[in-house]
Amino acid sequence: MTAFNYWYVNAGYWEDDLDQYASMLPEVLDKQDTCDVLYFGESSNFSYHPTRDSLQDRISDFISYGFPELRFGTINSSAYHAGIYLPLIERIRSNSQVEFVIVTLNMRTLDQAAIYSELESALQQSARFYKPAPALINRLLVSLHYYDDRDAMERDRLKWQEWTYDTLTSDAPGIAFEPNTIRRWCETIKFPNADGIDSMEKRALADHYIKAYAFEIDEENPRIKDLDQIVRVCAERKFKLVFNLLAENVEYADSLVGENLVWLMRKNRDYLKQRYNSVDVRLVDNLESVAGKHYTDQNWTTEHYDQVGRQIIARNVQDTLRNWLAQTERKIKVIR
Amino acid sequence: MLFTSVAFLIFLPCVVLLYYLLPARHRWLLLLPASYLFYGWWKVEFLVLILFSTLVDYLVSRSMYQARSMIKRRLLLGVSLLSNLGLLFLFKYVIMFTEKPDPMILNIYSVDHPIMGMIKYGIYYAIPVGISFYTFQTLSYTIDVYFQRIEPEKHFGRFALFVSFFPQLVAGPIERFSHLMPQLKADHRFNYENVRNAFRLMLYGFFIKMCVADNIAPLVDAVYTNPNTYTTLSNWIGTLGFGFQIYADFAGYSLIAQGASLLLGIQLMDNFRTPYLSTNITEFWSRWHISLSTWFRDYLYIPLGGNRVAYGRWVLNILVVFAVSGLWHGADWKFMVWGLIHGAMYLLQRMGKQTGWTRTMPLWLSGLLTFIGVQFAWIFFRIDGMEGVSDHLHNLLHAGTQSLQIPPYVWLIIGFFILSDWILYNTRVDRWIGSKPIWLRWITYAWMLWCIAAWSGVTNHPFIYFQF
Repeated sequence: MTAFNYWYVNAGYWEDDLDQYASMLPEVLDKQDTCDVLYFGESSNFSYHPTRDSLQDRISDFISYGFPELRFGTINSSAYHAGIYLPLIERIRSNSQVEFVIVTLNMRTLDQAAIYSELESALQQSARFYKPAPALINRLLVSLHYYDDRDAMERDRLKWQEWTYDTLTSDAPGIAFEPNTIRRWCETIKFPNADGIDSMEKRALADHYIKAYAFEIDEENPRIKDLDQIVRVCAERKFKLVFNLLAENVEYADSLVGENLVWLMRKNRDYLKQRYNSVDVRLVDNLESVAGKHYTDQNWTTEHYDQVGRQIIARNVQDTLRNWLAQTERKIKVIR
Repeated sequence: MLFTSVAFLIFLPCVVLLYYLLPARHRWLLLLPASYLFYGWWKVEFLVLILFSTLVDYLVSRSMYQARSMIKRRLLLGVSLLSNLGLLFLFKYVIMFTEKPDPMILNIYSVDHPIMGMIKYGIYYAIPVGISFYTFQTLSYTIDVYFQRIEPEKHFGRFALFVSFFPQLVAGPIERFSHLMPQLKADHRFNYENVRNAFRLMLYGFFIKMCVADNIAPLVDAVYTNPNTYTTLSNWIGTLGFGFQIYADFAGYSLIAQGASLLLGIQLMDNFRTPYLSTNITEFWSRWHISLSTWFRDYLYIPLGGNRVAYGRWVLNILVVFAVSGLWHGADWKFMVWGLIHGAMYLLQRMGKQTGWTRTMPLWLSGLLTFIGVQFAWIFFRIDGMEGVSDHLHNLLHAGTQSLQIPPYVWLIIGFFILSDWILYNTRVDRWIGSKPIWLRWITYAWMLWCIAAWSGVTNHPFIYFQF
């Protein structure tokens, strides 16, 4: 197997496989020796408004403009989340050049729709390639489907089970969940037009907002376990870790569904803030920092922003980095 | 549990080790739970159905054996047929007449009534893997008991093991009681020769499933999903590719099943013998899915009268057998058409033989025509809906501009597969490897291991016959 592994890696087959199924690994391996900061992001980083934006720079680019002396590298792929960033971060050597790791934290990746998404199989397949094991072993394990490879129907079943049976609770005054499951909540929401007929389009969007944000994060959430692991790995390797909690369209959540949903979003944000602010970790709270009009998708829940939105988020991350750098002995040039 | 999974690669050695540590009379106590674990690994719910089938057939066969009146025997046979075929009908054929449910059945905008939606979803969700295989295996048992060809098994546990024996449970070979049960009861000692042959069978099985079938599958999927996009050559590659995919997929599975069983000292019947090298369609059916074709011969064709009937009735018998064998594959009219095409080819060949016009035909030409006919029929088998057939055929002549991207190593693997099929004409891989010098054996092992580790297909394509 050792000889096979040598041949697999050196004859170019590994590279071909990575190109096709796990393209981020070569970038991490390259950039760890040339960058001080690695930014891990998904589509929120590079999406832009096709007509309104004069600047198409990514969030990570905007952040980097504030620190001309720091070398930034961006690891970027659509739909990635903490579970996929984790094996990539595990591949960064502790003696690499990397000092800061910025990880995008998208709140929706913690909901049931994302956890049981059909995209997960492909993402987990990539993650298998990223794991720190001999390349040929990873390749073989991918062929044997040694990763979360449940079929779409099973994922749907699990998702619906949680939406049907998981109950939402509140101890806050004025906030009560009745109905208290996502399924019942979706079924009861109505948007009658002037003529009394239900507005399906608006209802579908509200329904989607509920499915995306009506959940309560706890320790059992698989993404929390991934995030905890990221914290552990970064602490072991002495990387300074920043979680960039992305902005969500709280304005629309409020107008479509109401204060109960917003309360849940804030509660989840507070949970994350409390869990991930410590000596070696900072969480940048962008949840409510971008106004509804700056989202490029007005009819769906995404974290895609126009240039104003991207700049706002970048500025918040810059502030956190700046404050952190100020506390260290390292003196670097900062542009405000 | 999939054969091509890490779980199975851990499960099998554990079972084999414990099997040889146990005395023969207690081995069923290991194999039965192991078989249920293997099957329940997919969904625990599947076990309810297999237990139900097992219990019904056990009780029916015992009562049938003790019954003196013919009417009672027939009634009991009816109960067995009704329960087995009823389950098969419920899970496979009810959906033939209904639309596939919206996977998001709790979607409040679903067209289904919530209750109907739940029922349909439940049926789709719970379609047991390999139900056609174990149903046919138990059917053959009760029919054999009815005709007093065999005595029913007294021991419920051993009978349950006969129904659920894990190597062949979900995709065959469909074994007969008279062949499998004596082996399940026998005292098999650890035999190096058996183990060596088992590894050879399994290695080749893994190779053709993981490297041949799983590398061809994405090409076939691409062409069948968007035939208009691809060039004529790509459409031909995709169309012919499916013939190779399904063969490698199913024959690979059967070889792994045979190998896994042989590790326990139990010989399963051969299910494939290089079918694409057949020189006529009769020979093809004696080489393709042998356990099913012999099942249909013994339990449908002969009871219908076989060839000892008037010519017209014989023609009808042939068409019925092929149509039913098509429908056995699944709840779709396309499978029936596939079966009828084979039936028509069979009749044509027999007519040619009777009238003498095929007598002068060289074997290579007859073989080529058989190959073309079989590949043509696969189009109906693979196509998503009958309405797509004409479009697919049209695209074999006039199509788009995009070419399939096929890595060179895939051609190498396919070439090796064709060559090995040629070599294995009238022999089996374990026997062939065993007859070669040691250096050639180890080069072959190393080549297949390399292919499995580095070049096997990456996209998840479960065994095609699991759905049947």
